[in-house]
Amino acid sequence: MSSELAIARAGFGTRVRHIWQTSRRLPLIPIIIMSAVVFVAIFADLITPYPPNEMSLPDRLTPPFFMPEGSTAHILGTDTIGRDILSRMMYGARISLSVSLMVIAIASVIGTFLGMIAGYRGGRVDAVLMRVTDAALAFPALLIALLLAVALGPKFSTVVLALSALSWAPFARMMRGEVLKLRGEDFVAHARVIGCSQARILIKHLFPNVVNTLVVLMTMSVGLVILIEASLSFLGAGIPPPTPSWGSMVADGRNLFDRAWWISLFPSLAIGSVVLSGNFLGDWIRDKMDPRLRQL
Amino acid sequence: MTRYIIIRLIQAVVTLIVISMVIFALARASGDPVMLMAPPMATLEDIEVIRQYLGLDKSLPEQYWTFLKSMARGDLGKSIQNRRDVTTLIAQRLPNTVSLSLPAIFLGITVSLILGVTAACRRGTWLDNGVRYLAILGQALPSFWLAIVAISVFAVALGWLPTSGMGGPANYVLPVLTLSFFMLPIFTRLIRSSMLEVLDSEYVKLARIKGLSERVVVWKHALRNAIIPLLTATGITFATIITGAVIIETVFAWPGIGRLMAEAMIRRDFPVIQASVMLVAVVVLMVNLLVDIVYAYVDPRIRY
Repeated sequence: MSSELAIARAGFGTRVRHIWQTSRRLPLIPIIIMSAVVFVAIFADLITPYPPNEMSLPDRLTPPFFMPEGSTAHILGTDTIGRDILSRMMYGARISLSVSLMVIAIASVIGTFLGMIAGYRGGRVDAVLMRVTDAALAFPALLIALLLAVALGPKFSTVVLALSALSWAPFARMMRGEVLKLRGEDFVAHARVIGCSQARILIKHLFPNVVNTLVVLMTMSVGLVILIEASLSFLGAGIPPPTPSWGSMVADGRNLFDRAWWISLFPSLAIGSVVLSGNFLGDWIRDKMDPRLRQL
Repeated sequence: MTRYIIIRLIQAVVTLIVISMVIFALARASGDPVMLMAPPMATLEDIEVIRQYLGLDKSLPEQYWTFLKSMARGDLGKSIQNRRDVTTLIAQRLPNTVSLSLPAIFLGITVSLILGVTAACRRGTWLDNGVRYLAILGQALPSFWLAIVAISVFAVALGWLPTSGMGGPANYVLPVLTLSFFMLPIFTRLIRSSMLEVLDSEYVKLARIKGLSERVVVWKHALRNAIIPLLTATGITFATIITGAVIIETVFAWPGIGRLMAEAMIRRDFPVIQASVMLVAVVVLMVNLLVDIVYAYVDPRIRY
């Protein structure tokens, strides 16, 4: 008798226990954090207590509510010009998430395309593409981003462009390795024998076999991209003010840490917990999909 | 071996040319320098004169060639902000960055060696898990924030160390510590996994059978072999240090090239950024070239 059947027949208590046991195997805290951030990012307009850039000089440097002088009007306090930290963080989540989603989308498409072609064609194409990839991997990421920010001006599109220019290389590397392993398999040879075009072999036959690895790498990149975006904003090369971003919020409070630690502490915690959750989720998906990828 | 070195040299030169093309293209995209130089009352003829003076009336390939020639001469242009030679600016700042990063690299490598090796030897214990979680945490926390916390605790609250700037040896403590923390997570992870692989090998078993003490087996036989694959990570180390230097120097107001770049970025001083990036590119390429050659020398399977 299958276990599903047993559970269907069992009483309510057993069913609850089953759900509990299944959920215990999920990385619950990372999932909760990630979903909360996604929710906040999507509905920031509706749930923020204040507009993110609304100044209120009488309320400036209000500490968070649990401090003696704090008030529940500003739960996480306010910054030097009286803007609500919580509201700004909620909008900041939107920036961080949209930047990292766009960057990962662009980087994974470019990286997968180049990597698969390099792995499948081999020879000179492979040599040239992998040299370019190596160069991109070896170059300090932040510098390219700074260069682009100066040349094109700090704006949303520049940040996305800069981060994509840095993030495609690991995808190309990984995809090339995967295709290289599969290239000699029988199913590829069969596809070739029945006259499939190169594009068809790559898309219909090889891609479904590498998509697991791709998903794992994409999840693991979320944290990294958010972290670089935060560093860029911290240096002033990110999305320009007054648009709130977690990195620039940390930068705002950096000279006031001894007097008004809440300005930079809460955004830093947000960055840290999202990056951690992203990494844990990536680890978990990797183990679920293919434990062989452990060394990733 | 000679053939291998020649091929790698040619590849390095090609990469450098590609990088210079990208920088040149970005320099042109960053705005019209004529408009920056021309006074507000300039007539169209004046603008034309400046354009000719700057060589911007020539074709793009010609301009690129001039750009390459001046680069090769070491003339990297003048800072927009104070009209000083970019080369001098960088030459002034470079020693400060070196004196900050060398101790940081040394400290980072030493600590991550100890952590990585101990974790690998005690695989699966609380110590191993502790080191692994520390590495994960270290990679997730924004390092600029760590530097801010370090300043506010040790410099502001406790008053033990200076907050920023350069001066006596005390000024080095916090920047060096935070910069070395930059490389700890990656390096500890690399060393741990490399050590795990080596500890499983036949020659380590042989060394144990021979009755060598565990200390000699681990720190002499295993570690020496575990370090070889780490050579390839030298490039990554370098990139990490450069990235770290930009952030740490900004936080600690350290007058190195990292801060030079960050300031130039805020003032949109393109020549300074361009020169710094070009310099870093050359050094990164040379480091990687050297590593590849050393690696091919150590491991004959790599050669073409």
